[in-house]
Amino acid sequence: MKNKIKHLTENPGKKPGRNLNKNFRVLRELVKLRFHNLTVFRLDFFGPFFVDGSLFLIQLLAFQAVYANVESVGSWRSGEMIVYIGTFSLLNAVSMTVCFFGLISIPGKIMSGEMDLYLTKPVSPLFRLTFEKMNPGSVPLMLMSLCIIVYGIKAGGIVIKGENLCAYFFWLAVMSIMYYNMEVLIRSMSFYIISNARLDQLEEACLDLCMKLPGIAFYGIFKVIFYVLLPYGIMATLPVQSLIGEMTWKTAVFGITVAAAFSLLTYFVWTRGMKRYNSASS
Amino acid sequence: MKMRKYTEVAKVYFKSQFAWRADVVFNMIFTISKILFAYLLWRMPFMGKETVAGFTFHGMLSYYIVSSFLSQLEMSAGISGEICQRIRNGTFSKYMIVPVSIEGYFVAMEIGVVLFYLAFDLIAAALWVFVFRIEFTFVTEAPLLFCALCLILLGLFFMVQFSYYLGILTLKYQGIDTFLMIKNNLMALVTGTIVPLTLFPETVVRMMRLLPFYYVTYLPSMLLIGKCREEAVRGIVVMAGWCLVMQIVIWLTYAKYSRKYDGVGI
Repeated sequence: MKNKIKHLTENPGKKPGRNLNKNFRVLRELVKLRFHNLTVFRLDFFGPFFVDGSLFLIQLLAFQAVYANVESVGSWRSGEMIVYIGTFSLLNAVSMTVCFFGLISIPGKIMSGEMDLYLTKPVSPLFRLTFEKMNPGSVPLMLMSLCIIVYGIKAGGIVIKGENLCAYFFWLAVMSIMYYNMEVLIRSMSFYIISNARLDQLEEACLDLCMKLPGIAFYGIFKVIFYVLLPYGIMATLPVQSLIGEMTWKTAVFGITVAAAFSLLTYFVWTRGMKRYNSASS
Repeated sequence: MKMRKYTEVAKVYFKSQFAWRADVVFNMIFTISKILFAYLLWRMPFMGKETVAGFTFHGMLSYYIVSSFLSQLEMSAGISGEICQRIRNGTFSKYMIVPVSIEGYFVAMEIGVVLFYLAFDLIAAALWVFVFRIEFTFVTEAPLLFCALCLILLGLFFMVQFSYYLGILTLKYQGIDTFLMIKNNLMALVTGTIVPLTLFPETVVRMMRLLPFYYVTYLPSMLLIGKCREEAVRGIVVMAGWCLVMQIVIWLTYAKYSRKYDGVGI
């Protein structure tokens, strides 16, 4: 088993063209299987859309109430805050559509030894776990998020320049990767500890706080926590700052550094964890 | 004699909480997210203003401390999930065969759990007042405290009824999980735990006053920080009315749909 893990964690990257082709074929098959599965449980198809859609609409209503009584929170007025909520919703929607339902099963699979099945397949276990439970029912959530963002831009009278829009999409891509990294990182801890419940609780609390509160509200020790240690605070803040032209070069370098650092950390924790994995029979 | 059965149920659930000590501690710690949200959100608007919607900065934080404490006490959401799961897998019979009313069983269960968490939630609230150096506003007038206490008890009872009602709807509608999750999201808004309801336009607040959720967390919190005094008695009457209506709805629904239940081995 250990040799198999070594082979799987060390080999990817040796023949990039061939690997890419193989992964693409696997991805196509996983999408097909997922659609078959979803046609069996039809009622659950749009469930995540309704649940998360209601969550972000409620945030929107709450902030409309706040802004009916105050003019701005920091430098952000109502428009910027709506764009922020839409952006966080979009990051969440991308995760829900692509990888969330696959990744949440990691701790259970490690505990039960079901991870063995993934190690015996001729594809990276993380690749398969990421894409095996894609949820097309969350695609409307992406559309809803885009509508919220457009509404925020219009309501706030935000003037968008071409370069700001490009920067926004660039930061969305970077932060989607970081969102994914954080999800993998937290679930990878199951290789090292018995129960992941507290870390899940921590993730839930951080997401709950940061989806309601933009990074500009943090200061002092809170900024260190939510910008560096648990960087949920920058996930939607940096894309919005780039869109409204508030981003400085210093912030951009900081954002890239944090995203890169967390990608490396996730890679390290996952690969080390796979080597530690003892399988169901040992 | 009849009450003794329910007291025993409450005792069992009170004692069983000791098995989940880590849960208790972490639930206590994570209440910080609500207070931190309020502290960071309202810190900036209050820099240039003395009051917002009738609240001072410390009054606003006092509201969040009290509403967070009450929302932590309200732990009935699990009842719907438990009933839903047991009806779906056919083990709801467990509750049907015990010689107590099923609803009474869940009320007793809630009492046991709430009594256990009461002290810990109070410690958490006191801790955050100290950590964030909040000049805590709290009413000391006995009549107002009494009214707030009545509302809190009625509110907790109503939420158990509401969760029980949603749970037994599984007898008719097989999958209510998605609906329960949407309900949980909605409850945070309509009970005023995200932002005080007074921030909403007057028309919206007037509509919310007709609903029971206004009286579960929001009004007791406002009363306990010395606001909305004129609504205290009316609140108790409205909430008692809602409890009565909900009880009738529960009786009718259970009588109508309990025959649809297919238990294991039945």
